Amino acid sequence: MERHPSYQILSASLSKYPKAAGALFQTYNDLKLAQQWSDLEVIEVPGCSRYALRGRRPNTDVVLNVVPCSLSESLSTDWIRTTFRELNSPAHVYLAINTEDSSIVYYKISPGIVKPPL
Amino acid sequence: MSLIGPSRKQGSQKSGARRAENNRIYAHPLPLVFPAPSPSTFGHLLGLFGLSTARLENPHCEGVFDPATRSVWIVNEKDSTILWRRGFFGKGDLSRSEPSWLARQTNARKAAGKYMTSEEVREKRRAERMQFKRDRAAAIARAAAEAEAAFAEGREAAPAIIPSGATWKPTPAPASESLPPPPEDEDEDEDEEIPEEEPLENVEHLQLTLQEAWFLVWNLDCLTVLDPYTNVPMSLQQIWRAFQDIHCVPPELPIYAGRFDNPFLIHYAAYHYYRALGWVVKGGIKFCVDYLLYKRGPVFHHAEFAVVVIPVYEDPADKESSPFNLPNADTFSWTWLSTVNRVNSRVQKTLILTYVTVPAQSRVSPDLLSSPACLAHYSVREVVLRRFIPARMRD
Repeated sequence: MERHPSYQILSASLSKYPKAAGALFQTYNDLKLAQQWSDLEVIEVPGCSRYALRGRRPNTDVVLNVVPCSLSESLSTDWIRTTFRELNSPAHVYLAINTEDSSIVYYKISPGIVKPPL
Repeated sequence: MSLIGPSRKQGSQKSGARRAENNRIYAHPLPLVFPAPSPSTFGHLLGLFGLSTARLENPHCEGVFDPATRSVWIVNEKDSTILWRRGFFGKGDLSRSEPSWLARQTNARKAAGKYMTSEEVREKRRAERMQFKRDRAAAIARAAAEAEAAFAEGREAAPAIIPSGATWKPTPAPASESLPPPPEDEDEDEDEEIPEEEPLENVEHLQLTLQEAWFLVWNLDCLTVLDPYTNVPMSLQQIWRAFQDIHCVPPELPIYAGRFDNPFLIHYAAYHYYRALGWVVKGGIKFCVDYLLYKRGPVFHHAEFAVVVIPVYEDPADKESSPFNLPNADTFSWTWLSTVNRVNSRVQKTLILTYVTVPAQSRVSPDLLSSPACLAHYSVREVVLRRFIPARMRD
């Protein structure tokens, strides 16, 4: 992992919370290289012992928050509420669930009931 | 032709040439190959005695163990192509299946990509589905407005025409979008570089799960795993130890010693069981299950079966003392079962519950854990689930 170009950018964040390091690394690479997000920055979420990512999708202006986690972790609604609180109450948060074969499933979480778009 | 409607043909939408191409590229089910021996009289003679001059071609792939992501990375492009094409092992970490990141970037740069990767086909399909949903919403709104107006005037409303998935056709797209899917010649793409911009460095690797890596290392002996810090090939004992210790944090604690319910062992028992029977086993997170079983591989047909691994303890005392938080180890609720079955029947997959029995520490000596011989003590049983609707299933 150390030889990967993204490691330089993330090394401080990876070493601070080692249990969340794999998920953060995979999610960062997916967003930056595969989905081509711009202005990616790393935000600390101390209540959940991890770092979250904030950036924009290609050709959009809206800033989105992504919280990486691993499939083996157990989450609670309190955990989710903490992410909302510590990311300054965004409209919605994307949960990036990482697996060992590098698949990432994104879930969009909103506080409250949301009507389907179409 | 719409990508979201039902296909004209019985099976997949691929043409005969595409299928022939796939049969050629994905001809070998495993990385080990027996090249056909040249016919000779000596060979014939040996054959009469039941012996053979066939050699075994072993690609000897190399990967690096990555503890943080709990996986083995194949960085060498030649090895990742071999492991993907012969058995569909692993997944490109920036792609949905085979490593195609470099091809997609090159296509994007050329902006006139002659061939579409599977990700690009997926984007096109999603765009069409979004357009269909908009058209349908607009048609529903029009029908509602028409009904309102007709009611106000006291006449019958004209019959509404709402597009359905089967009948909707996409509006003609610009010519550049209707591209044929590519042949699998990524090696050629990687050699072509754009002179104006700096050459792209391929930052993608093939990521193997620990179960896939152990299967290749132990059963087929075609993979070498390097230690990430020293770059020295790990021995079989070291790999066996490391793959289990990854779930023990920190590994030296005595509560982790001699545990048969290590998640790696349980998942490996299930993975080995299905692989040995000839199925291609891939991850199933997209369908809320542990594994998907493909008959030949993802490029041929959709997976028919979705597997959920459920550990069962032979001795309940082992369950009480377990330091691992094993999912599905407790009795499940009917709502969970109903949900998972519903998700999978929507996509025409049959749900299989795979029960892996964890041997009791009182009966089987934990010393066996030092080698894969302990796997013989795990038993795997399956329960196939189908929803029964009495009113409709009379025949």
